[in-house]
Amino acid sequence: MKGKYEGRTKFATVGKSYRRLDGIAKVTGKAQFAADMKLPNILYCKILRSTTPHAVLRSIDVSPALAMSEVVAVYTADDIPGENRIGIIVKDEPVLVKDHIRKIGEALAVVVASTEEAAEKALPLIKVDYEEIPAVFSPEEAMAIGAPLIHEESKDNIQSVIKIKRGNVEEAIARSKVVISRRYTTQMIEHAYVEPEAGIAVMEDNCVKIWASTQNPHYDRREVARVLGIGQHQVRVIQATTGGGFGGKLDISVQCFLGLAAYKTGQPVRMVYDREESFMASPKRHPFIIDYTSACDEEGRLLAVKVKIVGDTGAYASYGPATLKRAAVHATGPYEVPNVSIESFCVYTNNPTAGAMRGFGTPQMAFAHESQMDLLAEALGMDKFTIRLRNCFHSGSLTATGQRLSKSVGIRESIVIARNKARELGMLNSHLKNHGVGIGCMWYGIGNTGAPNPAGAFLDFNEDGTAIVLTGCADIGQGSTTALAQIAAEELGIEISNIYILAGDTGISPDAGASSASRQTYISGNAVRLAAQEAKETILKEASNVLGVDRSGLDIKDGYIVQAGEKTSLTLKDLLKRCRLKGQLTLGSGRFNPHTTEMDENGQGVPYATYSFATQVTEVEVDSETGKVKVLRVIAAHDVGKAINPQAVEGQIEGGILMGIGYALMEEVKLSEGKIVNPRLSEYFLPMSLDTPQIYSFIIEKPEKTGPFGAKGVGEPALVPTAASIANAVANALNTRFYDLPITLEKVVLSLPSKGD
Amino acid sequence: METFILKATINGTPLELPVDPSWRLLDVLRQKLGLTGVKEGCGEGECGACTVLLNRKPVNSCLILAPEADGADIVTIEGLAQQGMLHPIQEAFLEAGAVQCGFCTPGMVLAAKALLDNNPNPSDMDVKTAISGNLCRCTGYVKIIEAIHLAAKKISSGGDNI
Repeated sequence: MKGKYEGRTKFATVGKSYRRLDGIAKVTGKAQFAADMKLPNILYCKILRSTTPHAVLRSIDVSPALAMSEVVAVYTADDIPGENRIGIIVKDEPVLVKDHIRKIGEALAVVVASTEEAAEKALPLIKVDYEEIPAVFSPEEAMAIGAPLIHEESKDNIQSVIKIKRGNVEEAIARSKVVISRRYTTQMIEHAYVEPEAGIAVMEDNCVKIWASTQNPHYDRREVARVLGIGQHQVRVIQATTGGGFGGKLDISVQCFLGLAAYKTGQPVRMVYDREESFMASPKRHPFIIDYTSACDEEGRLLAVKVKIVGDTGAYASYGPATLKRAAVHATGPYEVPNVSIESFCVYTNNPTAGAMRGFGTPQMAFAHESQMDLLAEALGMDKFTIRLRNCFHSGSLTATGQRLSKSVGIRESIVIARNKARELGMLNSHLKNHGVGIGCMWYGIGNTGAPNPAGAFLDFNEDGTAIVLTGCADIGQGSTTALAQIAAEELGIEISNIYILAGDTGISPDAGASSASRQTYISGNAVRLAAQEAKETILKEASNVLGVDRSGLDIKDGYIVQAGEKTSLTLKDLLKRCRLKGQLTLGSGRFNPHTTEMDENGQGVPYATYSFATQVTEVEVDSETGKVKVLRVIAAHDVGKAINPQAVEGQIEGGILMGIGYALMEEVKLSEGKIVNPRLSEYFLPMSLDTPQIYSFIIEKPEKTGPFGAKGVGEPALVPTAASIANAVANALNTRFYDLPITLEKVVLSLPSKGD
Repeated sequence: METFILKATINGTPLELPVDPSWRLLDVLRQKLGLTGVKEGCGEGECGACTVLLNRKPVNSCLILAPEADGADIVTIEGLAQQGMLHPIQEAFLEAGAVQCGFCTPGMVLAAKALLDNNPNPSDMDVKTAISGNLCRCTGYVKIIEAIHLAAKKISSGGDNI
């Protein structure tokens, strides 16, 4: 459905809701996900995983498993030819445990067998000799003196600390009219992509070739090569059609095991996780403990924000350092605050590893900062939209890290649009019992925090006017392949049907970095655009020679060379032929890295080149008998810079909102002494179709001048404010506020006054 | 041990397949017949990615043992498009933007087919209920629901290939 955005764009291709390029393959069931792929004589791999959260591993005896006739090999840490250390930021994790088990679910051995059943049968035959040692399951306990040390190379269990300081917080608090301090706690959640992890691998021409469900094939290649002790040129990772990621398919899952097995056996191998293994092995969203103090003047202007964040990163760092850093940068919310003191701790425990999960610490922070804004407003008797409008960023605002924001700041517009729609829908003056409305505002920095994260792209503009784009960008369902094709088509002045995208193959496409941090439209989009510009340059230079005019007025449109928008006599095909005859290849390469700086010891710097902004307003109805919170309507106003494909942007917003409903109300990975007690979909509650509210989405376009055609990002912003707005809506409905997520039926019922006895 | 002869019609073709009786219908379809459009998401009937039509009813093929499908008429996603022409439901999914990662898509399309074959003019609640056993983590269901309403319109206005 073309919807309300068609006709809004001034561009030929960008801004239109083209059908996704891989749609037909997916809708006919032909798309090959990793578990669908077949190779002749393939062997099956299964992992033996630890059942204790903290232990010294003394020895592993694999001989009883090897004795099975169908078992071809069993590998342990001693069989790793290269380095037995991986990690997406810090290399603190073994591929196979050598001597120190740090969590339940760690890989101890890989069995390779001729059937999947045999591989599974072999696992319990392996004898593991270990000695349990004291474990720690809470980050606050882990930070205490004398806590069991989880990583010997560290002096304590604090993996990292980030501090952001500006102005004088204590002095500002002392002169404030209202000071609100609360503790907020959030739960561990599971990505629960519908496709569990999977991959296959084979040796081909002395190269390890791996197809995997992944968000970052180039990272996978680097790790596999190091683990095997071979060159990166001898490893090729191809992203298979991937059934969702949300940050859970960034860390190494099956790739190193497959590489090891293929390399050592010389035979094709396969590994597919079942759902329980996926729960156990994949990283989770960091549970946070947030101590938040907000101080404002009598007009509701924020004077100071003081925050302490403690994130449980579990046994390994994964994306923990980046998550806690991003949380610190975004802790104030999208508001001007002159005095800031933020401390953000990433802490090891013997819990399952926490890593990247859509929003990277910002959904947790939004729950806190949006609850705080409502509390301040309530203390002053102030309207909750007004307090946000009074404090929100605008172009030129200074952030807590001392960055001056550019022109592309759409937070004010998003608040106004959401408020106006809420008024129009009659949401704001309903006095229905147990009905409530809540606001959630957010901002999200595009790209990796204060660190280089470039993308490259190649483009070949063929003689017949078609083009091939080579991009490392992994499409994990969000639609990046289609968006990049639209950008290339727009820049080259050709139809999108004349573009072919080859994506996510380290043997063919350059590194585009990970599909995470909502960065690909902005960063790969720029790389693709630059590659297209370079190819186009060759053509237009030649056209300017032929026509005898200045290059600057020339462009390509509808198959013609145009000058100042007017068709000349030269066709694109003429020019491409000319270039070829003259030996000039119409190729392009592009690379883009956002302009950021590192943050200093006070957290001052430019962590992101650009930010997306949004406001969501949620209406809920609470059943006082059951405690069930039903989300009725959600208004979502998102500043994305420029929507390359508006239908896809809406799809992200809608998906994010449902994920946010799960985060606010239903989802929780339940732990007992480091063990996940509900690692299955029958016991981990996810939003289904009957939970879908009425969603009114608004795309706001405040063009980002450093973005491709003005685009920023939306993947994570879609989710960030939802739980925050739901929590505020529940507080509005019940006059009772929850400071702990998820807001389950039990919590609601227990909070309600008991009926007459 | 392939000791059971499964007699079933799969996507319109009557077949006799020797199968291991402990296999699930899901395994028969994916591994014996190469119909990998049927997906395994959870193995316990909670996600609906393995949905196929069995005697026109949507079922979780991961919960059905092969012998239970004996004598049945089974339709998988591969059986929908005819001679290269998409079924109106598939067309509607593409038009409405209801496909993102695509892993839930086959199950969703078949659940929709089961609904529309029986109820050509479903209400919003009918549609939501029909797909209430199909998990999607990407789309938030909104465009899937829109797609199914659009498909109903396409079919009732005489779309080909029904």
